[in-house]
Amino acid sequence: MIIDVNAFLGHYPFRSLKFNTADGMVSLMGRYGIDRAVVSSLNAVFYRDAHQGNAELHRETSLHPDRLIPVATVNPRYVGWQRDLEECVSRWKMKAVTLVPSHHGYSLTDEYGHAALSRIAEYDLPVVLTQRFEDRRQRHHWDIAEDLEVKTLVEVAAAHPRLKFLLSNWIGLDGGRLAEAGLRGRCLIDFSRLHVILLKDVTRLIAAMGVESIAFGSHMPFDYVGPSLVKLANLETMSSAEYEKISWQNAAAFLKLDL
Amino acid sequence: MKQNRREMLSAVGSGLGAIGVSMLSVAGKADEKKDIAGSSASVIKSKVTGLPENWRAMRKFDVHNHVMQDVHLPDADWSKVESLVEAAQILGIEKLFCSRPITGGVMAEIADVRSVNDSVIAAMKRYPDQIFGFCFVQPGNGPAALEEIDRCLDAGMLGVKLYNQYRYTDPMVFPVAERCIERRIPFLGHSAHLTDARTLAAQPKTSDSLDFCELSLRFPELMLILGHVNGGGDWEWAIKGLRDCPNVFLDTSGSVLENDTIEMCVRELGHERILFATDMTMEGCVGKILSAELTDDQREDIFWRNLQKILDRRTA
Repeated sequence: MIIDVNAFLGHYPFRSLKFNTADGMVSLMGRYGIDRAVVSSLNAVFYRDAHQGNAELHRETSLHPDRLIPVATVNPRYVGWQRDLEECVSRWKMKAVTLVPSHHGYSLTDEYGHAALSRIAEYDLPVVLTQRFEDRRQRHHWDIAEDLEVKTLVEVAAAHPRLKFLLSNWIGLDGGRLAEAGLRGRCLIDFSRLHVILLKDVTRLIAAMGVESIAFGSHMPFDYVGPSLVKLANLETMSSAEYEKISWQNAAAFLKLDL
Repeated sequence: MKQNRREMLSAVGSGLGAIGVSMLSVAGKADEKKDIAGSSASVIKSKVTGLPENWRAMRKFDVHNHVMQDVHLPDADWSKVESLVEAAQILGIEKLFCSRPITGGVMAEIADVRSVNDSVIAAMKRYPDQIFGFCFVQPGNGPAALEEIDRCLDAGMLGVKLYNQYRYTDPMVFPVAERCIERRIPFLGHSAHLTDARTLAAQPKTSDSLDFCELSLRFPELMLILGHVNGGGDWEWAIKGLRDCPNVFLDTSGSVLENDTIEMCVRELGHERILFATDMTMEGCVGKILSAELTDDQREDIFWRNLQKILDRRTA
């Protein structure tokens, strides 16, 4: 089984995406042998009212409840976000919460970020932090979002010691630094931008953070799925137990999925 | 001291053993697992069903890669070169075409240029069946740059690599292009259409596809390769900018793995102008070609045959 923890539905304003509807994504998953995908709403990133994107995501993923696992997105600068989050968690049973501070105009370390992270921790849900959607060297001139930085991650990990982090689409992660910040055991890192062979990022992260810290992710539909499948195939020399953890069990445990 | 393949792979395997990962057992052909000594072990079918069964055995030439260490010096650290060769073996990349450009906008002296090329030559000597050289030159070195091309070719290199010291429309570059035509070798150029101010300020002379077009129109016989379409920068711009310049090839490398890049290359340029490469994003760039919507023949042409045709011109 494969669970992909780095996937999105919806439109991206700066590039045409394929397979960005629920039906399209399920067809893509079928082609590549991916059983389930953890999906956030791109529309929620760019709508003024992010919750409209959550509602769309709920409607779309409800058509494929056995394949798509929806993730809420909240904007703590927007009126009534706490009630919106409550609806996502209690009514729609969303399993994690995405924050996009740069796109929504705040910092994870300011009052808005602090409030959102605290509320997410109270729900005992992971926060999903995507380091970037695309490479800044190709960005549209309206795209001014900065990549998330490791130093910010470390700072908020210390400020919110109960909070769990799903880190999607990151590079530059130093496992020793993450472990020192107390993130071992409360952090799941998708390997979509990491190397299994050559630079051996995954090997080093496992050594510092444990095999439970790594999960399959592809960043679909932005990116091809093949690169992450090649990485997974290169992990087949691990023990079967470790391989299955990375392939799907870590994601299932971290998100408390009822499979 | 030079290690043989078995010794090197054994060392690598033990290095990874702490977490139970031995990369070697996936280095065999197709999905047949082999032990470190290369003898056949039990055939274990891959659990990953979304890739072609024979993907590791597909022939692949990586036209854009790098030697990253001073391996020509006494008591050199070879670890990065060894990791490169190991990764290529795991992924079924038969040939690595490597250079070692001086980056960061440095206008290098010819002695420094010779030194980096010497490191590539040393890697070619140690791995004669896997590593093939592209000669880095800095056009500002004038006649010495042309002499360096000749020296590199005499040492067995097969092409030239330029970085971003000069935009390729700059007349300083023209003698290099002429020498490449004269010696019938490909000219691989660093490229990007950069759209963010920070990177653009750091790399003001980086050529984009229109610069490649202009150079190609001036030198239609030049075997010109636009480096790393996905190496950062607007790749849609890069592809569209090459539509009217049929003599420019494009390599598929780079850390950006965005869906539809390869398909757009094929739609806009035709698959015979596309060359597989990784620029050190090795798993990602293999996976990109594997999951692009291509016919088997197109995939094979991109993986190796298109480059072989370019190299064949050298001896034609």
